[in-house]
Amino acid sequence: MELVQKEHDRLSKKIKAAQGLKSVQSTIDLLQSARDAIAADPSQASITLAKLQNPVKSSFDSINDSLKETHSGLNKYSKSLDKLFKDRPLPSTEHDVLSSQEHLINRAIAMHLLREGQFTVAATFLSEMAEKKAMKKQQEGTSSATENAASLLDIDEVPSGEVRKQFATMYFILHEMKESNNLLPAIEWSRENKEALEARGSNLEFELCRLQFVWLFHGGHNQQGPTAGGRQAALEYARHEFHSFLPRYLREVQQLLGAMAFCPNLQDSPYKNIFNNPSAWSDVAHAFTREFCSLLGLSADSPLYVAATAGAIALPTLLKLQTIMKAKRTEWTTENELPVEIPLPPSYLFHSIFVCPVSKEQSTDDNPPMMMPCGHVIAEESLKRLCKGSRFKCPYCPSESHPREARKVFL
Amino acid sequence: MAAELTSTRLNAENHLLLDQPLLRLPHELARRNFKSVQRLVEREKEHVLPSLKEAANISLPNDQTPEQALAALDVMISRMQGLKRKMENLHQEEKRIQEQSRKRILHLEKLHQIPSLADVKYDQWSRVRLDRLIVDHMLRSGFTESAQQLAQENGIEDLVDLNVFVQCQRIAESLRCGETKDALQWCGENKAALKKSQYNLEFELRLQQYIEMVRTRNKEKYADAMVHAKRYLAPYIETQSIDIHRAAGLLAFPPDTKAEPYKSMYALERWAYLSALFISTHHELLSLSSRPLLHIALSAGLSALKTPSCHSAYTSSSSNSLSTTTSVCPICSTELNELARNMPYAHHTKSYVENDPIVLPNGRIYGQRRLLEMSKKVGCVEAGKVKDPTTGEVFEEGEMKKVYIM
Repeated sequence: MELVQKEHDRLSKKIKAAQGLKSVQSTIDLLQSARDAIAADPSQASITLAKLQNPVKSSFDSINDSLKETHSGLNKYSKSLDKLFKDRPLPSTEHDVLSSQEHLINRAIAMHLLREGQFTVAATFLSEMAEKKAMKKQQEGTSSATENAASLLDIDEVPSGEVRKQFATMYFILHEMKESNNLLPAIEWSRENKEALEARGSNLEFELCRLQFVWLFHGGHNQQGPTAGGRQAALEYARHEFHSFLPRYLREVQQLLGAMAFCPNLQDSPYKNIFNNPSAWSDVAHAFTREFCSLLGLSADSPLYVAATAGAIALPTLLKLQTIMKAKRTEWTTENELPVEIPLPPSYLFHSIFVCPVSKEQSTDDNPPMMMPCGHVIAEESLKRLCKGSRFKCPYCPSESHPREARKVFL
Repeated sequence: MAAELTSTRLNAENHLLLDQPLLRLPHELARRNFKSVQRLVEREKEHVLPSLKEAANISLPNDQTPEQALAALDVMISRMQGLKRKMENLHQEEKRIQEQSRKRILHLEKLHQIPSLADVKYDQWSRVRLDRLIVDHMLRSGFTESAQQLAQENGIEDLVDLNVFVQCQRIAESLRCGETKDALQWCGENKAALKKSQYNLEFELRLQQYIEMVRTRNKEKYADAMVHAKRYLAPYIETQSIDIHRAAGLLAFPPDTKAEPYKSMYALERWAYLSALFISTHHELLSLSSRPLLHIALSAGLSALKTPSCHSAYTSSSSNSLSTTTSVCPICSTELNELARNMPYAHHTKSYVENDPIVLPNGRIYGQRRLLEMSKKVGCVEAGKVKDPTTGEVFEEGEMKKVYIM
């Protein structure tokens, strides 16, 4: 990479210093002065013209020299690029399942734009997509493909007005939260979805209210630290709102109110973490985004982002695999599983993985993990192979069991 | 643990696989630009030097009036001024391209300063990359307006090649509408580079022109067609002899013929084929990949992330939208789920489960600590009981049973 940078610097310098234009100008000057001379004294025409030959020729030569200079710069830069990308062709297109699913990709992009809050781009994108579809329909109009196009339309319509509205709400709430420290829209939303949130075991509503309490305590809109008025407002708020939290969050509410007693020197009190948490706002915003997306059945980070990043991480490995397979002329036999393990960062592991310790295969719906009474787990196929229908010994401990006693487990 | 530590290491050089076009494309443009400067200079040189010599020769016998010499000089001066003007424009363009390349190199250089995939900076970098990939995809699919807006809003105009793709789409569209002029002009501009191309775009375009002339079934046009064939098709006789023979045969068949291959030569689908051929040739010349980079990244990424649980009939205990303690897996999320259905799933050689797993009487496995914490949070569960976050069933704490996963 440094080489590329160095060569590029050199090339830019060369281009900036290029004399080509100057030489052209000097040629023009030469011709112009010769013209003036001839016009002034027609009798000198032949001599002037004869004298002109060599300077004009040499100035053309100098133009060419400067071009050569640039050319060599360009070539060196090409070489440095070749070196950087050597042995790194883009992976071949043999297993291209995606091109046939253009509309799904477009849908994913539209959703991504919406969840990133880029509503205007998303709107343009959707309208351009609709335009294209309309055109296609027009072209196919007479043929039998019309009903086909109609069915395509249905799938495409998923990032519909409903989803768009949801994300707009989400961004409005986040905006209020971040820009004007206004938690009320968020609290309102969490109340509306109370039941769903509670079933998920989410603390969102309480966390929002607690932050609101702390914010009031610090003086509300004019954050001057704990004042008597702020304290009063916070207390008022607590009296009004907190009783509904009492069954679940008794301890936390007690903490908050206990802190009141310490208000002169909160810094040294055991409560300082609650009241002076610099990341509280971003934490709450993050929690809110996650809950909001989860209720829509979506993951908190844009899946498109996660997948594209994972792809970039995985590509070198896949490319190496491709070269090896080509060199050894082997084929990869299990169609539905990648032939190599791809090292992804731990944050990219979402599901638990069960690999049968006997067969070394990943469990699937057809071959689920089975737990024997001793608590060891192996895949169903391995179990069948081991037991042959009668009592058998667990491969990992001395206990014996009957295959009937093994139970399917879910990871 | 060792394996997990190494997996967050970032090897920047390897990581640049998807970013080759970023530097290659402006470089190809710069080279093309340079070639046109060279051609201009060469042409003027060929003209000015001989004409200067001629002017000198003519004026040798001194009886000549100076008017002729002056006129010759005027022509030369105006030509040189034209050259200067053109060169200035190209020089500006050159500088613009180099500036763009510089910014792109800086962008890639940033990646080299990021030590780990877990770094926040990597996250930011990767987001910019995703935006680039999306713009690339949009441009290739012809969603120009959206691409422009996205690039503008995210401030990455220097990292994407709007103009190149807009031009490409325009020509491809004109071909789809049955118009060869723009495409042929493009061929003229890239004559030298086209010689190395693996496709023979120009021949196919000329052949199409010929077909259109024959299609009229007009005697005069026939003569034109034959002249056209002699002029434009005959030079390809060594490589394209079959096609040329077929073109000759075409004269004997009317456009509504049912005989192959003439039927497909007359077919209107040929325009779509030409359009696709043009796009392939165009991308090849500018060292762009033949399919959108986003597809390449996605197909690798979907497979790397996919697990058998993602399309399983049973809800996964470890990643679902039913509980706060788990996050939704991107493949399970509605956006990508359908797309990933036909992809192979990732290969794993080791089980990966939470610490101290326990099994509930309904067969679901959870990490013990997570389950207890969760049950406490849910609140509506009495002390000494646990709630299965996936199914909602409530069990006694004593019913949890240790499970061993190797």
